[in-house]
Amino acid sequence: MDMSRRRVLGVGGVLAAGAGLGGLTACSGTGSTGAQGGDVGDATKGSITVWSWQGPAAELRALVPAFNKKYPDIKVTVQDIGNPAIWDKITTGMAAGGAGLADVLHIGVDYLPGYVDRFPGQLADLGKLGAHKYRDSFAKGLWETVSPKGEQVNALPWEANSAGFYYRADVFEEAGVDVGALDTWDDAIEAGKKIKKKTGKYLLGIDKPASQQDSANFFQLLLQLQGGFYFNTDGDITLDSAEAVRAMSLIKKMNDAGLVSDISGGWNALISSIKKGTAAVLPWPTWFGGIIEETVPDQAGKWGVRLPPSVRRGGATAATVNSTHLAVAGTSKHQAAAWNFVEFALTRPESQVEIYRGKGIAPALLKTYDDPVFHEPSKFFGGQKKGEIFFGALKAPSPAFNYTSDYARALKVVTDAQTKVLLKGADPAKVLHAAADQLASQTGRKVAR
Amino acid sequence: MSVVTSPTRTVRSAGVRDSRPPRLSARRLAPYAFVLPAVLLFAAFKLYPIGWSFVLSLHKTVAGVDTFVGADNYVRLLDDPLFWTALKNTAVILVVQVPIMLALATGLAVAFNSAFLRARSVFRLGFFMPMVTGLVAYGVVFSVLLNEKYGLVNWLLSLVGIGEVPWLTDPLWAKISLGLALTWHYTGYNAVILLARLQTIPKELYDAASVDGAGAWQSFRHVTLPGLRPAILLATVLSTIGTLQIFDEPYILTRGGPDNATLTIGVYLYQNAFTYFDFGYASAIAYVLAVLIGVLGLIQFRVLGDKS
Repeated sequence: MDMSRRRVLGVGGVLAAGAGLGGLTACSGTGSTGAQGGDVGDATKGSITVWSWQGPAAELRALVPAFNKKYPDIKVTVQDIGNPAIWDKITTGMAAGGAGLADVLHIGVDYLPGYVDRFPGQLADLGKLGAHKYRDSFAKGLWETVSPKGEQVNALPWEANSAGFYYRADVFEEAGVDVGALDTWDDAIEAGKKIKKKTGKYLLGIDKPASQQDSANFFQLLLQLQGGFYFNTDGDITLDSAEAVRAMSLIKKMNDAGLVSDISGGWNALISSIKKGTAAVLPWPTWFGGIIEETVPDQAGKWGVRLPPSVRRGGATAATVNSTHLAVAGTSKHQAAAWNFVEFALTRPESQVEIYRGKGIAPALLKTYDDPVFHEPSKFFGGQKKGEIFFGALKAPSPAFNYTSDYARALKVVTDAQTKVLLKGADPAKVLHAAADQLASQTGRKVAR
Repeated sequence: MSVVTSPTRTVRSAGVRDSRPPRLSARRLAPYAFVLPAVLLFAAFKLYPIGWSFVLSLHKTVAGVDTFVGADNYVRLLDDPLFWTALKNTAVILVVQVPIMLALATGLAVAFNSAFLRARSVFRLGFFMPMVTGLVAYGVVFSVLLNEKYGLVNWLLSLVGIGEVPWLTDPLWAKISLGLALTWHYTGYNAVILLARLQTIPKELYDAASVDGAGAWQSFRHVTLPGLRPAILLATVLSTIGTLQIFDEPYILTRGGPDNATLTIGVYLYQNAFTYFDFGYASAIAYVLAVLIGVLGLIQFRVLGDKS
C-alpha cells in the first residue's frame, strides 16, 4: 500500500525467487553433493548444530553433558527454532542447496516425505552411517516412514505418538457418566450431551476456522482409528473414502449438538481453554499429557487418560497418529559426528528415559519401555499408568500411513472442508468429494474411488 | 556517490592537463566504476532472480527433477479455483479498503495542515507511527486484540453489552478485520504524502477563492482536491501495488482463512512455494501478479494522470 510494504514484499519476492532458484541449482547438483560422496567428517571431533523446538529442544540440550562424557571433542549447540517456524527455515535452507542448515534436524512425519521428495540429497543417508542395525528397534510402522524403500535411511525415529483421550474425571463424575464405558464415539457424543446439560462444559474443542495448519488433527485421528488416511499406499487420494466421510460426519454431529467449542487462535487459545476448563475431553496424542500437567499442575488427580473410543463398535482404539524424527543434513560437513549425536539420543534407552521424565515425550524406541518409569502410576492422572496405556497402543498393529510429498496440500483442503462443515453446516460427503477433486487437480494424483 | 567524489576528480585533472587522452578515458570510466557495485548488487539480487523465476515458472519439479512444461503452470492457474478466490479477495480489498483509506488520509492531511490544530506534531507522529511498526509485530498484536474468546476488543465490547464478535473466525468479519488493520497501518503514511503536496498549494489560490465567495467546502472541492491530484495519483498507485502484493497481514491474522476468505495472491504464492515446495507454480503466480500490477498501474496513470 506504500513504499515500505512494497519494499518488504519486493525483498520477500526476491527471496522467494532466490530460494526457488536455489532449489533449481540444488536439484541439478544432487548427483555431485560432496558430503554424499563419502566425506562424512571426523566422527569424534567437531562442532555440530541441532535444530529442534520448545520442549524437545530443551531435552536435547539436557542430554549434551552426558554426550560429551562419551565424545568430549564434539561441541553440540542445540537451537530452539520454534514450531512451526522450523519447517520454513528448513525449507529455505534446503531450497538454497543446504546453505545455513543445521547438522541435525528434528523433522515431523508430516514434513519428512516432502523434504525427501522435493530436495533429494538434502538429508544424509543414515544407512551408510550404521542406521540399518536399528531396523527392528522402533515401534511398528516407523521404519517404513524413515526408510520407505528399505535402502536409504532418511532419519531415525524419536517420538511415537498414539492417539489419546485425556479427560476431566471430575466433570465426567459430576455428569454421572462412566468414562470407561464409552466404546464408540457415538457413545461419547451421548455422554457429551449429558455433560453439557449437567455441567455446561463442551465435549471437546476444535479450531473451527482453521487458524492453524493442524486444525484437522481430530478429523485425522478419527480417520486413522479406522486405518484410513488422505492417501493410500499407492499415493492415490482417499480423501472422500467412506471412512473419511464417517469421520467428518461424526464431527458434524458433535458440532450440531453444540458439543464443540472453538479453540481458534493457536497454541495460546488452546492453553487458555485448558486453564478455563472449557471442554471435558482433549483428544490429543501421547505428548499432550505432559503439556496438560505443565499447564494445570493444581488439577492433579482431576484428570484421567485412556485410549480413544473406536469409530465403529469393535473397531481399533489405537493408532500411531504422528511421529518425529532426527535427520542429518546431506550437506553437513560433520555427518559422522552428527550421527553419533543422533544415535546417542535415540537408540539408548537411558537418553529416552530422561527425555520422557522431563517432558513426557513418548519414545519410539521400544526397549525404553522396560524402564519402570513407564509402569509407575501417575499422580496427576488419578493413579493411572499412563505410560503403560500408550505402550499398549504402540504395540497394537498400526498401518504405516502414507503421508506423501503432498501432505501439506491435503491438509489445506481438509481443513477448508472441515471449516465449511463447522461454520457453514456443509454436507461432509459433498465437501470431501470436492476437496479430493481439488487435491487431484493440484497434485496430478488420482482419486481412488 | 559521484557528488561526493567529484571535487577530488576536478582537482586532480586540473593538475595534469597535458596527459589528456588517457586521463579522459579514466575520467569517463570513473562514474561507471562508482555505480558498478550498485549495479552488480542489483543484478545479482534482483535481475538474476527475476529472470530465473521466469525460467522456473516454465518448469515443474517432480522428485527433484526439473522438467520443462512450457506454459502448463499458467494454464493450471486459470483452472485453479483458489487462485481466483485469492484474486477476488484482493480485488475486494482494492475496491473497498483503498478508497476508504485514501479518503481518510485526505481528511487527515487537511486536518494536519489546519492552522487550528494544536500539538500538530504529536498528532502527525501518532498517525505515522503505525507505519514504522514491524508488520509481524502489529499483525500479532492485532490477532491478540481481536481474538474472539480472549481478546481485548471483545472484552471492551462486552462491557457495553455487545456480545462476542467473531473478528477472525467468520469469513465476513475476517475481511473487515483485515481492512481495519490495513487502514490503521497505512492511513497515516498516505496522509503524510498528501500533506507534503498540500503544503505546496499556493495560499493565494485560497485567498482568490474566498474573494470569489467560496466557502470551506467549495475551496476544498475546487482548490485543494485539484492541487492534490498528483499526490492522490501517487498514493493510489502505491496503494494498488501494495494491495496486490499484500501478504503479512492476512498471513499473520488469519493465515488466509477461514475457508480462504482472506486468502490473497501473496499468501497463496507463499503457500505454494514454501508449504508445498511448488516453486514453478509459485513463480508463475508471481509473474501473473507482476503483469496485473503493471496493467492496473498503467490504467491509473491514464485515468488520473492525464488531466494534470
